[in-house]
Amino acid sequence: MLDQAARDPVPEHPGGQALELAVPPHDHEVPTWDEFSSGWQLGIYQDPVLCGILAGAILGLLGVFVVLRRAVFVTAAISQSAGLGVVLAFALQIHGNLAVPPVLGALVLALLATSLLALRAERTFFARERVVGFCYIAASAAAVLVGDRIAQEAHDVAAILFGAAVLVRPEDLLLVGSVALGSAALVAVSYRGLVFAGFDPEGARVHGLPVGLIELGLWLLVAITVSVTTRAIGALPVFAFAVLPALGALALVRRLGHALIAAAALGAISGGAGYVLAFFLQFPVGAAQAALAVAIFVAAVAGARLLRRG
Amino acid sequence: MTGQATAGAELLTCRALVVGHAGAALLPPIDAQLRAGEFWAVIGRNGSGKTSWLRTMLGLLPPVSGRVQTPNGGIRLSYLPQKSAFDEHYPVLVRDVVSMGTERGWSFLGRGRRERALEVEQALSEMGVISLADRPFRQLSEGQKQRVLLARVAASRADLAILDEPTSAMDAVAEREAFTLLDGLRKRRGMAVVVVSHYLGLVQKFADRALLLDRDTPAIVTGTIDEVFGHDSFRERYGDDACALHP
Repeated sequence: MLDQAARDPVPEHPGGQALELAVPPHDHEVPTWDEFSSGWQLGIYQDPVLCGILAGAILGLLGVFVVLRRAVFVTAAISQSAGLGVVLAFALQIHGNLAVPPVLGALVLALLATSLLALRAERTFFARERVVGFCYIAASAAAVLVGDRIAQEAHDVAAILFGAAVLVRPEDLLLVGSVALGSAALVAVSYRGLVFAGFDPEGARVHGLPVGLIELGLWLLVAITVSVTTRAIGALPVFAFAVLPALGALALVRRLGHALIAAAALGAISGGAGYVLAFFLQFPVGAAQAALAVAIFVAAVAGARLLRRG
Repeated sequence: MTGQATAGAELLTCRALVVGHAGAALLPPIDAQLRAGEFWAVIGRNGSGKTSWLRTMLGLLPPVSGRVQTPNGGIRLSYLPQKSAFDEHYPVLVRDVVSMGTERGWSFLGRGRRERALEVEQALSEMGVISLADRPFRQLSEGQKQRVLLARVAASRADLAILDEPTSAMDAVAEREAFTLLDGLRKRRGMAVVVVSHYLGLVQKFADRALLLDRDTPAIVTGTIDEVFGHDSFRERYGDDACALHP
């Protein structure tokens, strides 16, 4: 990958992000540690690895609350909607000559999906699980269809949906870092409220806690984080990081506070090490990150069972 | 109020309160006045509207008509919903659950960790579950869970605690213990207690007032235990030997 990146710099598309599969040509010899180390020193891999770590950590942390609210597929629907938002932004740039930043497209669609999902079931014709299914399928299909009309960006569309960001733009890294820090700070500040509202929402309401605002705030944080990270690393790893590290952490530890730390750590490992794994095994980055998250989840569940037996 | 209401002070009044769903009344209008230090039992068959009445008093369900009045400045409420309303798999420790009782409004944004910890320790001791403080809530037995939830009520320093079938998963011994603990809270702290229960023997022993909801007749009966248990509606439903049959 280093040779490819160094010799054949990846062209930037109108959105400005350089994207390419992290797979050196198959006739390429197996990448070496020296190659990775050289690339690291040149600064080629630092940003995407750091971006993977930050995205994995914050999605892992928020994922604990998502998993505990039994809403894992809400994240899938939001990330697919964010992916559609990015694709629509490309389409508007190419066909409409409108300079819509892809991350803004991701944010708008993610918030739209979130508000649709936040509607209370009794006020809508559909229950939430059906809305989740609708959003996921509609966003996925629309992203592919719109992507088909912007053929020159086809591989970028695939990268956004499945995650294959070899290079991450500095502004995307900055945005992911800012959102990660901001989200972590907000979770820390409102931690007790999030816990009470999740454990016993009616009891919390009777105690005067603003349960509706707490839930709205949580899902807004999820929507913003998902839209920004989807733009940077793709929808598949985003969904994986929002679910699997949390599930693994909840299997491993007994306290919610510890689960948040463990999930952030597992997510960060999946994001960072997944990129390195993709480099050495010549896999697409997003799929490698998601696969590593799966492996870590399986190891965490197995480890938890062993610990309980011991 | 701040959880130290004067004994006998009016806490909550239902005036011609009609409860129901989506504008459809479940029951005839209810008039009831709850005072500090009283122990109320709510009885009636499953589906008779007991939970709907509690939720309407708590503001969780809008009334079809009528009013729920509290003194100026409001009162401190604590609510223990039915078991099914909790996420029992939540990864929280016992002390975390009891600590929830100390939260009010936006207090979760603040600190005050030491004060809350003291309240929690005291409530755990009072309910005899201090030894469980650092155990995961989800790993407790049903009886232990209910005691911990009663400790949450104690930590709330509420003027009025409303408990919806708090002893439904308990055996007869644990249920009697739970009623005894609640009665102790009422006496020590002047807290008014409203409990939904099907165990008429314990209701007769501990409660001083009762509300009978009968959706079939339909009828609402409120009064002292003797008045309610002696009422025709009660006798029709439960028979003359109700307490012997439902100890």
